[in-house]
Formats: sequence, C-alpha cells, structure tokens
Amino acid sequence: MNTKSTFCGSNDHRLNRRGFLGLSAAAGVSAFADMTGLDALSNSALAGELKKDQKRVIMLWLAGGSSQLETFDPKPGAPTGGPFRSIQTAVPGVHISELMPKLAARMQHTCIIRSLNTKNGDHGGAAKLMMRGRRDEAVVKYPDLGAVMAKEMGRADSKVPDYVTFYTQTEGRMAGDSGFLGSRYAPMELTTNNQPPDIRKLDGISELDHVQRADLRELMSKQFSQGRPNKVLGSHNEAYQRVRGLMASEKLFDVSQESAKTRDLYGRSQFGEQALIARRLAEAGVPFIRVARAWWDSHGQNFETHQEMVPELDHVMAALIDDLKDRGLLENTMIVTLAEFGRTPGINSSLGRDHFASAWSCSITGGGIKGGVAYGKTDANGNKVVEGEADAAKLYATIYSALGINPHKNYYLGSRPVPLVEPGTEAIKELVA
Amino acid sequence: MRPNRLVLLLATILPSFTVAADLLPPDRPIESVIDHYIDARLATSKSKAVDQADDYTLIRRLTLDLVGRIPTPAESKAFVESKDAKKREQLVDRLMASGAFVRHQANQFDAMISGPSSRTSGIRDYLVKALGSNKSWDVIFRELLVPNDDDAATKGSGEYLKTRITDLDRVTNDVSVTFFGVNVSCAQCHDHPLVQDWKQDHFFGMKSFFARSFDNGGFLAERDDATVKFKPTKGPEKTAKMMFLTGKTFNPPARKEQTKEEEIKERQKFEQAKKDKKSPPPPSFSARAKLVEIALQTEEAVFFSKAISNRLWHRFLGYGLVMPLDQMHSENPASHPELLQWLGRDMANHQYDLRRMIRGIVLSKTYSRSSKWTGDIPPAPGVFAVAQLKPLTPMQLAASMRVAVADPATFEGKPEDVEKRLESIENSARGFAGNIAAPTDDFQIGVSEALLFSNSDRVEKEFLNDGGDRLIGKLKTIKDPTQAVELMISSTLCRPATPDEKKLLTEYLQRRTDRSADAQRQILWSLLSGAEFRFNY
Repeated sequence: MNTKSTFCGSNDHRLNRRGFLGLSAAAGVSAFADMTGLDALSNSALAGELKKDQKRVIMLWLAGGSSQLETFDPKPGAPTGGPFRSIQTAVPGVHISELMPKLAARMQHTCIIRSLNTKNGDHGGAAKLMMRGRRDEAVVKYPDLGAVMAKEMGRADSKVPDYVTFYTQTEGRMAGDSGFLGSRYAPMELTTNNQPPDIRKLDGISELDHVQRADLRELMSKQFSQGRPNKVLGSHNEAYQRVRGLMASEKLFDVSQESAKTRDLYGRSQFGEQALIARRLAEAGVPFIRVARAWWDSHGQNFETHQEMVPELDHVMAALIDDLKDRGLLENTMIVTLAEFGRTPGINSSLGRDHFASAWSCSITGGGIKGGVAYGKTDANGNKVVEGEADAAKLYATIYSALGINPHKNYYLGSRPVPLVEPGTEAIKELVA
Repeated sequence: MRPNRLVLLLATILPSFTVAADLLPPDRPIESVIDHYIDARLATSKSKAVDQADDYTLIRRLTLDLVGRIPTPAESKAFVESKDAKKREQLVDRLMASGAFVRHQANQFDAMISGPSSRTSGIRDYLVKALGSNKSWDVIFRELLVPNDDDAATKGSGEYLKTRITDLDRVTNDVSVTFFGVNVSCAQCHDHPLVQDWKQDHFFGMKSFFARSFDNGGFLAERDDATVKFKPTKGPEKTAKMMFLTGKTFNPPARKEQTKEEEIKERQKFEQAKKDKKSPPPPSFSARAKLVEIALQTEEAVFFSKAISNRLWHRFLGYGLVMPLDQMHSENPASHPELLQWLGRDMANHQYDLRRMIRGIVLSKTYSRSSKWTGDIPPAPGVFAVAQLKPLTPMQLAASMRVAVADPATFEGKPEDVEKRLESIENSARGFAGNIAAPTDDFQIGVSEALLFSNSDRVEKEFLNDGGDRLIGKLKTIKDPTQAVELMISSTLCRPATPDEKKLLTEYLQRRTDRSADAQRQILWSLLSGAEFRFNY
C-alpha cells in the first residue's frame, strides 16, 4: 500500500491543516456544501506568493524520452558512456555532452537536475506523472502543470489563452489535461499546424457582423443573468467575452511577424518555429506553453538519433535563453526541458538505449530558478542516483516554489483539500533563486 | 472496532429507522411530502420562496429534465393554452412514457456510473435496456456488480467492473461513491481525519468483497479465496474482514486447505476459460454477490436508498440534500434530514422504483419554482427557495439546438411520427455533443466552447444552414421582420418574445436589409449561443 498516494487533510500526511480547519471552524462544516468562495479564501490565506502573476512557463517536452547520457549527464570513458565526449561549460566544474555546446556557453542561466528517480518506465503513465508531478487516484484526476499555471496565473479577462500546447508529432501524443479543474482551464491544443482551432473568423461573416452578433448575444445573456447569480453562468459569459481578444491573439501564432534575424536565431525547423511562437505567447502574457518534440525513443541507434536531435535542442534552448534575456523576460519566464523518463546506461544489441526512470536528468532555466547549478549525482556508470535524489513530487515542488506558488497550497475537491504536490515534499532549496 | 464505537456509529447513521415513527406517513404522495418538509424549513428561515415558474419555463424544464431536449413550439403552445387542471401530470406522464425518457435517463445514469467523460458504450446500452424494461435500481445495482457475461439480456453491465477490477482500490471507492454516497478513499491510509464514521477497517472491509475478483482474459472472474491485509497507522499488520459501511461484518465460508494438485487444477480451469474465450467457472461462494445482499438488507440499505434518493434529487433540483454527493456521513448532515429519510424509506418500500421517485420529485412545487431571485442576495441553494440553474449536458445541448433550428412545421402531425423525427434528431446530435464538456462538480465553461460557437464552420453547417426543413429556410418565406423575430425566439427559447426583444431584434434586421438572410442567421446564432439557451433554468 502506498501511503502517499491518497491525501485527505490528515496529520498522517504532515500537512499544515490550518487552512482547512480554520475555515471549517469559522463557517461550520455544512458551509462546505457551497464551495464557491473557497478559491478566494484559500488564496488570501496563503501569503508569500509574490509577483507570481508575472511568471510564465515554456515547457520543452522531449517525447519518447531523451538520453541523459547524451545531454545533461555524460559519462565519457565509462562502459555505458557511448561515443560522445563531455565539454566544460561556462560554470567551472560542470560538464555536459559535447552535443550541447551552445547550452554549455549559457550554463550560468541554467540548472540541471541529474538525480531524478521517478520509478515509472512506461511511456503513457510516466508522461502523465511528469506532466503533473503526481499520480491520479481512483477519484482524483490531477491537473497538469499547464492547467495549474492557467489557474494560478491566468486572468478571467485575459485577451490571450491561458494554456497552449503544441504537439504536432504523433509519438506519445498526450493531450493537455486540466483534471479536476475542469474545462475552464483546458488547453488550446495545436496538433496539425501552428494555427489554433476556431480562432479565425469564417469568411462568410463580416468583421462588423461578427462583433455585433456577439454584442447581441451578450446583451440578451446579461438580461437573462439578472437575478440568477451563478458561477457556471458567469464562466459562460466570461468565455464569450474572451473570444474577440483571443481572435486578436492569432497573430501571436504567426512567425512571419518576426524579423528574419529572429527567425534565423531559432532556426526554421518546426521545433524552432514553435519555440519562437512560445516566446511570443509568453511575452504577450500566456502563462503556460508546451512545445513537444517527439521521436526520442531510441531503442535502436541511440547515438545517431541523439547526434541528430540534441544539436537542434541545444540550438532552440540557446535561442530561447538569449531571446528571453534580451527582452528582459528570462527572470519571469521559466524554460523546463523535460521528458517522461531518461534512457538506460546499458547499451542494447541494437545500439539503442531503453526506458530508464531510476537515474535521469532534466533542466530548468529562468523564472526564479537558480542558474549555473548541476544538482544531484549519479554513480560512475549512471546506473543509480548517489546524491540528491528527487522524485516527480520534489521536481514539481521546486518548480512551483521558484514560480512563487506555494507547493503546499490546497485546491478543493468538494470538501477535500488537495495540495498541489505530495504532502511532505519540499522543494530543492539550492535551486530556488 | 470497539463495541462502543459500533453503537455510536449505528446511532449516527441509522436515524431513519430509530425515528421512523416521526416521519410523515409512508402513503402520502411524494410531491406533497417534499413540499411539506421544504416549506417547513423555509417557514423557520428568513427566506421566502419565489413564485412558481410560468408554464413556458415549466414545460421547458420538464422536457429537458425528462427527455433531454427543449420542447417544440407546438408542445409549448399546447401546454400553455391547456386549461386542464391535470395538465402537468399529463405532460409528465406523456414524457415519461416515451422512448426518449429511457434514452435520456440512460445518458444521465451512465454519466453518474461511468463518469462524465466515459467512452465505453456498453454500460449505456445496458442501461437503455434496463430502464426500458423498468428495472429497479436494486436490480441494476446487482446486475452491475454481479454481471453474467453469458446473459444477452444484461449485456454490457459487466463493463462497469471490467474497466475497474485491475485496480481494487478504485473499484472499492467507486462503488462506495456511486451506490452508497460515501467516499472512503481517505480511510485507505488512516482512519478518516475528520469523519469519525470512516475507519481503515471500512475501506479494507469493503475492498475484501472485491479482492477475489480479477480479470481473466477480458472476462470477470472470482476466486474462492483471497485475503486483504493492511498496515494500520498503529500496530501490526491486520487481515481485513469483509465489512460493510454500517460496520456489519461477514465471515465467508471456511475453505478446506487445498492440495498443490487442487491448486494447479483450479488455475488450469481459469487458463482454459481464457484460451476458450469463455466465462470462467463461477466461485462456490461469491463475495460480490454477498456485498449486494448485505447492502440491500433492511438495516444496511439506509446507505443505498438514501444515496440514490439524494442523487435523483440532485439531478432534478440541481443541488443535493447532501452536498457533496459522496459525503453522506454523520458530520455532514442533510439540509433536510427527515425528507431524505422519508425519500430513502419510500425508495426501499417501493422496490427502488426509479420512475415513481422521479415522477414524485418533478410534480412537487419545490421543483417548479422560478429560477429568478428578485431580492438582494439569494438564499443558500440548500434552502430550495429558488430553482437552481443546471448547465445542459452535451446531449441536451446538441439535441436542443437541433430541435431549435428545425422548421416548427416538421413537428406537426401524428404523435408517433413526431416521436420518430425527434429520435432521429437526437441521433444526429451525438456528433456535435462530443465537442461539448460534460458538467462536473464545480463546472465552468471554457473558452474552447465559445470559440467553437463563434468560429467553427461546424456550427454554421449543422445549425445555421437553410435547408428546406430548417428554421432558416422557413424564415425566408416570412417578409415581416417582427414576425421573423417572434418565430426565432419561440423556436429557440420556447417562449414568446418580449416587447424589448422584438424591438431590439427587429431593428437588427432592419439595419441589414441588404443581407437579411445573414442577419437572421446572426440572430439565430446569438440565441443558440446565449446564456438562456445554455441552461435549464
């Protein structure tokens, strides 16, 4: 029995129960029947979430599982090391794979976590885990990071989407999922091209009529809403109020608005262009953007695969770092480079590496994370973590803390408090700026 | 569990039987009992109930709630104009006698049993058959928990357990939540921190009824033996007893020690069934069947009967007598405890007849109040002084849109033909419904729905085209703009246009005489995407 998988406000999970009990003492347990005011209450009760409304996250999702040995945790010379060398980075003593020279030169902005032990080596389950930081329970479907960011940083009247996800390739394609937070925080999904669905007016209606029929709709809906205060009704009207603003954000998805120089900076690849769009969205105030880049699942020919794909990743990460820095956005924009798991140190007979979740790496840059740090350590062959072990919960506690979101904050599912991360999990202090 | 705890527990959760004598008599009509208890509570509170909804609102509400769509203009007109004192009963009985009632309630029960975003159709198919043949809730419960794969008449019922049985914790909690209104998941790791009723013994006790069940190559199988062990927060590991939520335990028949050979033989039987793609051999004693039996025993049935009463109440009133629906325990009492007890007793006394209870609820005055509050701050929803808004389910919304955009003349004619036409409309709505989010606890509508309505050519093609049997086609033949406005409002909003609406929308048309067909489409769009259409109010 995994005693950590379920949480319900008990001391057994070492949670500060003050928020929950204080509320029930004040309002009486029956007041939980009406949960409409709870968000506001729990928000104001938790101080210290400073400047969080400025924070954004760009997640580079390496679908299929990239190899830590060919990226952030090279083991040159070891039997498991493979053919690539390691190189010195801008931070003395920190070495990464020679396939990432551009990131190496920018290492002072980035942290690497080399000690992930997330225990799940199955694509689907592991991707769910690493996108949420925790596992679903029988009756609790957790929101992913994008949905949490949409809820924490999005604004009701925002003119841009709260959560955008690019997943053009098909390998391991996993839709964003707002779990129990519901459709209000569901993502805008782009799977076929870089144009969001239903964002452009149909040709059959003029601009003016499109606006005026919406005004008509709003006028009559307001009439109906009188004397009927209701949260779902409010969300319906809010959703329509956002339509025009979202339509205006269409140009954010258009890379041709950028100079040739900037486009070259990111590269003209699909991954590069989507990363550039992600920067445009972050700049315009979109709290969370995920750009998935697939085909990392290198059971065969691991080294050729990484020789081809890591330089592209290196280039895109470097472009994002430089561009965000130039625009003064790096401080408040976090780049998370993450996969569902890493790859086995052992090299199989097809010269591939298989799924490996016991000792792998990810990288976080900007947005309140301390740069220039390589945290955690694996053994000489990369088979196990020997220092600073971190599971998915610890990684997420670190991400939330850096973003100024209290990782122990509760959401409420009916009367049940549901904290953002597994109770008892603390952030990696060394990484929070 | 210590004996004194057991006494305390039973005293707190079984009041319906200890004070049954104080309840209103069992032979009083359900609707009158509902109004009695709700009004009695209102009389002692500061709130006053709003007036009854008008007839246009009432027929819309009843039609959406009972058959899952808005009424046709002809239905509304006939109802409103009728002077028959029994017209409401007649309407309810007509709607409940239709196939659409069975299909819509099957959708609702499917969402309740499988979860809002379920993709398996087996349970719904089963529910259509079960509700169509008037199966009672206890029978449906039994057929879901003790399915017989070889019985064509109950085909599909097995999917409920098959999709869950690989996760025993999940099946334990799902069954407790859905059928008993109790969420025991907190008691998985420790006794419930806030609710004295729920101990680890309950969670693992309930789990023990499922622990012998497993998936055998796509068939549900049950062994003759399995023990559930758990580590209490204090003390040594324990072996769980089969225990129902009331604390009632059951000792399964002892099994004589098996020889190695017997064990191998048994395993081979299951393997063979798997190979043959056949139902595995049944156990000599079924723990799941035992759970069903215990749960329906007089003393224990209080959970089962109150849970279904509360869920039906929630479905039709938009708010439960106990909220949240899975938190029925002594520390979260019902807003109207006597009413819930009476309803639970009535369910049990009438063999869990769902139709009887649904009919009673929708005939109450409590159900038919207006949803509009005229004072300052509306009272808490649990007082039931004003009707709650209910967001339409995906199927309700899509089917209603299809009805609204049809030429009203296509709903005139022989009742059986109209019924057929409505059924085909319902079927054609299924595709669009897949784009709409299903309401959940704490539901909010997202921007993707607003974008879909605003810019998708699907809405344009499916609902705003001008085919001959469509409202837009009909409107082309109407020259007077005000008359066109009246027709659009009555078709979509199921009520006459107000003078203000007539003025506003007529002006909208008059300013677009160069593109009057487009202008009509725009008005129709604004009505279909508007708040009034989106809710059952």
